[in-house]
Parts: sequence; structure tokens; C-alpha cells
Amino acid sequence: MQERKGRPFLEVFASALHEDYRFPILELFAFLYALGTFVFASFVSVSAAGELIAYSLTASLMIFPLFTFIILIFKNVAYGFGSDIEKGIIQTFLSYPLKRRWVLSAKLLSALGVALLLFLSIQISAMYVLAPDVVGPYLGTVILTYVANLSYPLLLSAIILFLTLILRRGSIALVVGIVLYFALGIVSSLASFIAFATQSPLALQVISVFSPNVVLGMYYQVFGVGPGFPSASIWTPSFTEALLYLGASYVIVAAVFATAYIYFSRRFSL
Amino acid sequence: MALILAQDLAKSYGKVRAVDGLNLTLDEGTITGLIGPNGAGKTTTIKIVLGLLKPDRGRVEVFGQEPWDNPKIRTFIGVVHEKAFFPSHQKTLDYLERACRIFGMPESRGLEVLKLVNLHEGRDRSIKALSAGMLQKFAIAHALIQSPKLVIADEMTANLDPEARSALLDLILQLHKDENVTFLLSSHILPELSRVCDSVAIINQGKVWAFGKLTELYEKYAAGIIRISTDKPEELAAEIMKLPYVEKLEKDIRGISVRVQRESEERLYEDAPKLARRVAAKVQGIETGSASLEELYMLVVGASKGG
Repeated sequence: MQERKGRPFLEVFASALHEDYRFPILELFAFLYALGTFVFASFVSVSAAGELIAYSLTASLMIFPLFTFIILIFKNVAYGFGSDIEKGIIQTFLSYPLKRRWVLSAKLLSALGVALLLFLSIQISAMYVLAPDVVGPYLGTVILTYVANLSYPLLLSAIILFLTLILRRGSIALVVGIVLYFALGIVSSLASFIAFATQSPLALQVISVFSPNVVLGMYYQVFGVGPGFPSASIWTPSFTEALLYLGASYVIVAAVFATAYIYFSRRFSL
Repeated sequence: MALILAQDLAKSYGKVRAVDGLNLTLDEGTITGLIGPNGAGKTTTIKIVLGLLKPDRGRVEVFGQEPWDNPKIRTFIGVVHEKAFFPSHQKTLDYLERACRIFGMPESRGLEVLKLVNLHEGRDRSIKALSAGMLQKFAIAHALIQSPKLVIADEMTANLDPEARSALLDLILQLHKDENVTFLLSSHILPELSRVCDSVAIINQGKVWAFGKLTELYEKYAAGIIRISTDKPEELAAEIMKLPYVEKLEKDIRGISVRVQRESEERLYEDAPKLARRVAAKVQGIETGSASLEELYMLVVGASKGG
């Protein structure tokens, strides 16, 4: 008896792609990414150059496309995967000669990997077209900004996946994901207030573990600067410190995904 | 060779014991029916055998291996679930061709299995556009893609019209005869099972109460059973129950099945018409040892409940 690895994985992936991005979903989201990227790009001044500009340009360019990306992955992970479980389609996938972890990987690659690829390819292409003088020399900053901003959406995706598996209902997981997404904005503002009130960076440091774009913003001195938010004077992290927070956030993301994988492989019953 | 070996299986959902000390051995080349009332543990047993559910206790082997997360054995098993669902936005033939590639079969096998279940005219239909019966046929075609050695089906004929049911039963017999495919079929439609199965496992309250070849089970459970067909089974049953040599009695709308003590059959043949006259019932026939699978099932399930 031989285990067939390559082909079954690709076929389950292709099947998941077919469902996740059936017409006109792919077209619609690609349009939204491109629209968001180019519309916002037109408002960004690219006359100056420097690390700070590269960071600001990248961060401002991704505001709308990142939101679109989040909607797409929430739809794919919570709705797509959840409906596979609720309807019993997952039983069909589990009847194929493929380990459970590969079934989950194929589904995730479609739900998350392709969305991420689409998001990054449009974003980075646009940056190269619109601001080659800024992006070229500071590619590291650009990548770092993307990595920092994607950490929280990826954490939410992992939480949604795990909740979908546990609850067997995508809808509840989707609601939790949306609440957590909007909660971050409120919690970040609260963290700034608390940091200002207590003159301690602890609240900002805690939030940076889950959302490292906060620490990166503090590093570039663009986060929390202003009359009501003078938290930049409270905490000026070093670059190494920013990288440590970034690493910690991805460790959490990886841990939640690993928990979901272990649960699906060892305990998930139908 | 035993394709399925289940020993002392137990599985609970909260406080409900779905399977409780179940033992089952399925030999190669057999067609075995898994029958039992709703909630008896049939679907749970099938899910454990397929590796979709972990038992709380006991051991299960399929093709000599544990089924949980075991892709190696899946090439040999065709599965028809009670509720069949597939990615709905794909076309029937396209999806079956995908399944062919997954199992390493030539893509032409997709159309071949669609023809086997008489669904080839719907090859370009989207799966979501299939009716319940067509979806069931599609699930059966999907289960046959890899030319499996073992087919496990939970309510395989549900949603099918009588003609399609009959054709499917013929297909089962043909696959069994030509390719020595082993079947484990769970169904509530007992006449169908009795048409194709050579052995049955009668399951109730999570246990197998009777398992073996149909002829042996009839011999064991239905010997000494006399079937009395009558228009007033209620009234006649009440009278017959009073007879001292009657051990057990089951009634339905068409008559009564009576188990009597050894060598008391003749006495019942004499007494039944007399009792029928007393309650003004018409006796349409009296036969010995002609229990149907349904009657056998009722006897065993009745015994399992302590009846």
C-alpha cells in the first residue's frame, strides 16, 4: 500500500481554489486590491526619499487593500472551510489518500496563500511602478512594513480557523474574527491613553506583541505622535526591539496555526 | 482475510453511548448488511471504521491497519455517506475526473462510473444542480472511481427511485461477482438488503446482537417461527398469547409471527383456526419457517431489548 502525496494534494488544492475563487470573486477582489492600491498611491507624495518615507508610503498604500484582504480571508477561512464542515464536504476530502494535515494545508493554501499572493503581488508591483526611487533602496523597510501589518490579520485567520474547527460553524468564527479585528483599533487607542496616563510603555508593548505594526510605528516615530497621543516620548524602541516584537507576534501566529493543525489531525471527528 | 476487524468498540457523545462494546469482522468477498433501528450505532460504527471518528475504547483495523488519518488504505475503500456532499460549483464529470487523478486512475474512468449509475447524461451539470437522487447516484459513482476492494455505504439507496434502487442492487451483485468487491451496507430497507446480502449484523444499543450468514441466522432465530396471516392480528394475537406453548409473539398489520416450544408447531396449526373463529378473524395462511429479514430483525432487536 503506497501513500500518494503530490497529486492528491494538488487536486484538493485545485478543487478548493475553484470554490474559493469562483467567478466573479477572484475578479472582484483583484479589482478591489488594484483600485485600493492605485487610488491611495495617487495621494502619497513620492518626492522625498528615505526609510521613513518608504515606511509611510507602504503603510498608507495598504490601508484599503489590507481591509479587502482581511474580508477575503475571513470569507475563505470561516465561510468556505466552515461550510465544508457543516455540509460534510470535508468527509469527501478525508476519503482521499491524503493525510489530514495535507488536506488542511491544501485548503489553507487556497484560502489564505492565494489571497496573500494576490495582495502582495499587486501591492509590490504598484510600489515599483509608482515610486521606484523610494522602494528600490529601501526594499527591506517595505517588506518589514508588510510583514508587521500582516501579522494581526494572520493571527485572526488562525483564530478563525481554530474556532471553525472547534465549533464546526464558520458563522460564529466569522463574527469573532470581525469583532477582534475592530477591537484592535479600540485597544490600540486605549493602549496609547494608558501609556500616556501612566507614563509607562507597558500597554503599547503588550499590544505590539499581537500587532507589531505598533512597535514599528513607534520605531519610525509615526505612531502615537500628536497632541493627544504623545506616547512616542514614552517609548522609543530600537530596531532590534522592533524585530523581537515582530518575531514574537509570528510565534503566536504559528502557535495558533499549529494548534489548529494538531487538533484537525488528532482530534477532529465527524 | 478480514477486511474489517472491530473489537470491543465504544463511543459516547456526552452521556449517550452510541457504540458500546461492538465486535464485527468483515471477511473479504462478502456483502454484509448492517441493520438496526435509528440511533443503534450504525453510522457511528461506519465513521469509526472510516477513520472519521476516534473510538473511546477498543480496536479497529481496516485492511490490517488503523484507519485514523491513514491515507494508505483509502485507495481500496469506496465510501458512500448517508448525506453526500461535494464541492458544489463544479461539474459532475470534471469532479469525477479530478477524483480519478487523485486515485491515480485514467480520467476516462469518470465517464465510465457515471454510465454505471446511469448519470452520464448529466455529465455537464453542476453538482449543485443535481436532485437528491442524482446526487446519491453521483456519490455512488464517486465511490467506485478507484475500483475499490471494499465499499462502505451508509443508506446507499436513500433518495433513489425504485428503478434506480433495483439497478443499484444489480450493480452491487455484479461488482461482487465480477470483481469480488466486498460490501458493508447500512440500510433501513430490509427487503433490499435481503436481496443482495449474504450476511447481516443486527445492531442495537451500540452492540451487535446477531451476526452471521443469513441462512444461519434464520436457522438460529427464526426456527420454530410460525407466520399466521390474518385480518385481525391484534385480536388473534391476544388469544394466541394465552396458549401455554407460545414462547414469543410479534404482530404487525398483516399478521402474527409466533415462536413456539419444540414440537409444538402442530398444536398451533390446530389451535390457531379455532381461536380465529372465536374472535371472528379470517386466517389467510399459516406457514412455518418463512420469516423475512424484517421478521428476523424484529426478533433479534426484540431480544436485545429483553423482549
